[in-house]
Amino acid sequence: MPPNGSSSVAAVWAILRKECRSEWRTRYGLNAALLFAVATLTGVSFAVGRLPDRTDLLSALLWVVLLFASLASLAHAFVKEVEGHTLTLLRLVASPTAIALGKLLFNLLFLGVLEVVTVPLFLILMGGPPPRWGAFLLVLGLGSLALAATTTLVGAVVSQTRGRGALFAAVSLPLLMVVLAAGVSGLRAQWDGNPIGPDVRLLAAYAAAVLGASVLLYDHLWED
Amino acid sequence: MALRVLLFVWIAGALLAGFLWAPTVENLGETTRVLYFHIPSAWIAVLALAWSMLHSLLYLRTRRLEHDDQAAAAAELGILFCIGATASGSLWARAQWGSYWNWDPRETSIFFVLLIYGAYLALRSAVEGDERRARLAAIYSAIAFVAVPFLMFVVPRIYATLHPSPILPQQGEKTGMDPRIRWSFLAMLVGFTGLFFWMMSLRVRVTRAERRRLETREAGA
Repeated sequence: MPPNGSSSVAAVWAILRKECRSEWRTRYGLNAALLFAVATLTGVSFAVGRLPDRTDLLSALLWVVLLFASLASLAHAFVKEVEGHTLTLLRLVASPTAIALGKLLFNLLFLGVLEVVTVPLFLILMGGPPPRWGAFLLVLGLGSLALAATTTLVGAVVSQTRGRGALFAAVSLPLLMVVLAAGVSGLRAQWDGNPIGPDVRLLAAYAAAVLGASVLLYDHLWED
Repeated sequence: MALRVLLFVWIAGALLAGFLWAPTVENLGETTRVLYFHIPSAWIAVLALAWSMLHSLLYLRTRRLEHDDQAAAAAELGILFCIGATASGSLWARAQWGSYWNWDPRETSIFFVLLIYGAYLALRSAVEGDERRARLAAIYSAIAFVAVPFLMFVVPRIYATLHPSPILPQQGEKTGMDPRIRWSFLAMLVGFTGLFFWMMSLRVRVTRAERRRLETREAGA
């Protein structure tokens, strides 16, 4: 594959389209993730009931639900290539960086769909106060970007090990503590009417740092 | 051999100095003496993490398995010292603050370091093949290397600290630490650092010997 810019973009785009198409054919990954998110949400909702004035708990629980759903599903993009023995073919037609970036965009899209279903349901079931939408979506969006960037890289690593699924959550979690902490603090700040600047900057910086490091590391992902 | 004996005598001497020669601090009483284990252990836990990450990056550049041996050995020893620092700190917190664990920022950050060590070693144990294990572990280590500095910004936003201020004086401030405590402490710090590098060289040599034995067995078969 010639390393010039336009064909790399084309390769990333092709990978993304291929991911979407193969996901749409079975919808196995998305269905499982949505069911998982709704099940977690139901569990949380039954356990604590409605919490109209506990913004601290609401922000933490929303991130816990999202984190659970993504840890259960985001390794799928790489694991299915390994299990279907299709990774070698994929590597013949695209560079590691193009594959990983395509998968990253797919994971981001996947997370977006997951959130479109989960977040409104969460707000309704938990009876939270109406969010400040701009701030709410900004924190959620940046948090999702950081989440997707981290889990894509870890997913690619973990898909090459034994016991992929179990390891993925355990190995991702230490790297996601920052996202979790800043995300919870940001959501809480927007509900309480406090400035979200520091948390947004932290999330943006973390996402940028992980993305930058990932782009440098993607080349090393597959060599054997 | 001479270095090993020197290290043994050095640590024994520093220990005796810490317990017999150095005084205790007002309000802290005998719990002052946790200083001689706790801070050197925490220092080694951080040093080992940095050492491990540095060698992971070097491995990705050079692809020499010696760097991976160093990274793995540093992580294995690092988790040991990290548990030592956490346990001694927790006991001290029980004596001074009245509870073993309180999610103080220092407790939170050392817990985070423990988690990273744990994840790194769990990842290593799940990969087959030396080259692949080295490569995947190094990638993980590199991304953790990016994540760690952020914790320093995020943790203080969540909790306020009760932890005693750092030993090294802030700008223009005097530590007010008794010189006898300071010298015993610095001696322990040097001793622990020496101990860490000695243990690591042993671990690396064992790894190399194991690899050589496997190679000769494969060559013989």
